[in-house]
Amino acid sequence: MNAAARQRLLPDVRTRSKGARYRLKDSLQTDLASDKPAQILSKEDVAQSRNSLMHSICVEMLRGGFHRSFSELFSLLSSEEAQRAAAEPGSALSLQAPLAEQQDKLETIRLHLCRAEQAERTGSWSVACDQRLLLGLHFSAPEDLWLRLHFYHSCADREQGGRSRPATEARACMAELYLQRGDLEQAKLQAEACLKQAEDGGWMDSAGQPLRLRARQALCRIYSRLADAPPAASDHHQALTLLHRGHSMAAECRWSWNSRVNGAACCSGTTCVCVTAEDKRLQGEAACRLGLAYQRAGDHGTARKLFSTYMQICGTVQDTDGLGEAYEAMARSHDSKGNVDEAVRCLEELADISRSNGMQHKLADACVSLGRIYYSLRQYTRAWESFLQGFAVACDVGDMALLQKAQVWAATARAHGTMRDHITDVEAATPVALQRLVAWKATRGRQPLSADSAAHTATVHWQQHIGQ
Amino acid sequence: MQAGREVPTTSKCVPLSLPKGSERLCELCQGKAHLQCRKCRVTFYCGAEHQQADWLGIHERICELLVPIRTSTPLHPKHADYVELQLKKVELAEICRSVAQSKLSERKHLEALPAAQCCLRCSVDIYGPSTVQLVPAYLLLAEANMGLGNLALVGELLCQAEWAVLKSPDCGHSVHQQLHRSLGRLHAATGNLEEALVNFGNDIYFSSKEHGLDSPVTCAGYFLMADVFAKQGKLPIVRSLYSQMAHTWHSHLTQLLKAHGQNVHYPNPLLKASHDKGQRLEMDEMLRTMLAFQQNDPRNDPTQVALVSHCLAMLWFLGGDLEKALGFGGAALQASQLIPNYDLTEPIQGLLQLVHDLHTDPRPGSD
Repeated sequence: MNAAARQRLLPDVRTRSKGARYRLKDSLQTDLASDKPAQILSKEDVAQSRNSLMHSICVEMLRGGFHRSFSELFSLLSSEEAQRAAAEPGSALSLQAPLAEQQDKLETIRLHLCRAEQAERTGSWSVACDQRLLLGLHFSAPEDLWLRLHFYHSCADREQGGRSRPATEARACMAELYLQRGDLEQAKLQAEACLKQAEDGGWMDSAGQPLRLRARQALCRIYSRLADAPPAASDHHQALTLLHRGHSMAAECRWSWNSRVNGAACCSGTTCVCVTAEDKRLQGEAACRLGLAYQRAGDHGTARKLFSTYMQICGTVQDTDGLGEAYEAMARSHDSKGNVDEAVRCLEELADISRSNGMQHKLADACVSLGRIYYSLRQYTRAWESFLQGFAVACDVGDMALLQKAQVWAATARAHGTMRDHITDVEAATPVALQRLVAWKATRGRQPLSADSAAHTATVHWQQHIGQ
Repeated sequence: MQAGREVPTTSKCVPLSLPKGSERLCELCQGKAHLQCRKCRVTFYCGAEHQQADWLGIHERICELLVPIRTSTPLHPKHADYVELQLKKVELAEICRSVAQSKLSERKHLEALPAAQCCLRCSVDIYGPSTVQLVPAYLLLAEANMGLGNLALVGELLCQAEWAVLKSPDCGHSVHQQLHRSLGRLHAATGNLEEALVNFGNDIYFSSKEHGLDSPVTCAGYFLMADVFAKQGKLPIVRSLYSQMAHTWHSHLTQLLKAHGQNVHYPNPLLKASHDKGQRLEMDEMLRTMLAFQQNDPRNDPTQVALVSHCLAMLWFLGGDLEKALGFGGAALQASQLIPNYDLTEPIQGLLQLVHDLHTDPRPGSD
């Protein structure tokens, strides 16, 4: 209806006078006479306004002969209805709007399902799967997860077209979704099937990324999650196998990327760099996990090798968090092998990195660990310094547990140090030593034995802690 | 049986001898009546022809039921016998409806007319004019007239029904579904194919709501729809519809056969009740149409031929016609052997074996 007609139909209420009603009636009558098609609603319009949204859409589909689409949509809606009926009042499911009332979603589903059915009638299975994949990709809201899974499944599990490119991509998407939901077995199943198909087909996904790589990335994550799942230390062997598989997935990923980038650059440089960085990180993480598993199993040599790989990778992708983690793990490995110098070097590196990147927690941890190593070497002064540093950082961060730990350690180290000095002085029996002893005796712990005042602080800390 | 079917004698009814104001009208055509049923004495006819038709159609069943209803004077709703009388009327309407329904599914349109008419009259008497409870009666009448080709009358009847439904839109999915099916049939018969598609679409929607997606009622809706698409020449749609229906029916019949298998040596009345003769005829007709379509289809898909033939064989086996079951089973087996590793070959052979067993041993349960 054009603007003029609307104006005539709806007179301005503000300028309404006594005779307005009659004029309105007149204008309606002239409209009826002059502009008949605009006045009379068609049968479809009437049906649309009388019937529910779901009813209109279903009839629209059926009338076009899309009976399979109708059946699918209808059963989707009924299953949702059944779930809502079963849900408790007030739960999240019962609060959100039902699918049957969301016009844009229903229209989208109708459009793509009908296209898919049309394609299926002519036997172009791949197009049909493509439409289903599009539907799966279309929905992003968390409450539509069931719809996404439905369409991905219906795309990938087709009798015909189940091995096409869209079906393979749908499997990759499903693997990622299941991984997010924590359904690892399903995720693994889908990712493995996806990898197999992608290797045969050599396809790209909708964003231009090779599907093979996507499957590998997903698999790598899935394997490491699976390796986390068995109770720690009980089944190292199984965890190691899984992690090895994950690591080799990531490594293959890297390798194939490199060869691809070296060979023909078919996608833009930036995405390549970005994707390779992501891949490298993945490989690094896999190596780290594997290393940690070896560490738990007591194979420190292999663990160290893996940690140094991780370090290298972190260095190239400038992942300071990862680097810190690597040094920490490395130090632990060295320490447990009795390789103290190396461990100290690693921890100092870790402290440096943490300090320059503002990773306070890591720094405090590093200081305390360093202190403990010095303490075990009976280098009490250095141990005490380290503990004190850790204490200061822990104070800044406000980490109570760490703070108390550092306190106790610092005091213990200082006490041991003082005791040793005292005994040395007694045994030395030189005039200078005796003088120091006499001077200290006069104050009895109020003053430190040596000239520095730090011992006093340690004592105070000690007392504080005892007091607590 | 024979005695029951004999038309009872009638007595002459002289209009002049009647009390003033009570003119007797013919039960069927509402013309002036000259004959009276001697048995009940409350039914009148214009001639022997109409009496004969009414007797065959419905009167034989309800002759005696009519007596208390028609002889009683109109009662006040608070009268003690009012409820009892109403119940009798409801019962009468229900009998008429079921008789009309079964005659219609046996394709006896002319015979169904008196029953449908009586049902409508009775319903009007109970519920009042143009109420939604009259819709089933209108639809029965319309269907009978459709079979006789009186399309103009069908249009009028459906208009009445549509109006009743429009006035009470919450009358239930089933009523909507039946109305749309009849409307769709009318439109298909008058060549208004687009309109017919809309009606059948509504029919399928409502029947899915009421009975479920795979129910036989919904399937029948799909069949009607496929017919319209075939008239429009949209063969891919017809092919797709038929293949879905074949699958649905196949699973239905397989289930029935399995249930039948539990007491295979006894002719079971249970299945005959759920699948009476009329329904079986309807199904048979639909499946035959589908089979003919598949056989004439240039794509000639042996899986579909095997599937539909197997359906027909199961249907006739369940219906007790072993000759036909054997014929269709043979055709199904022939078609299934064209397909390598077909998973239906075994069930088809099993069915044929069952038929052979029954053939060689026709009365196993008699001793």
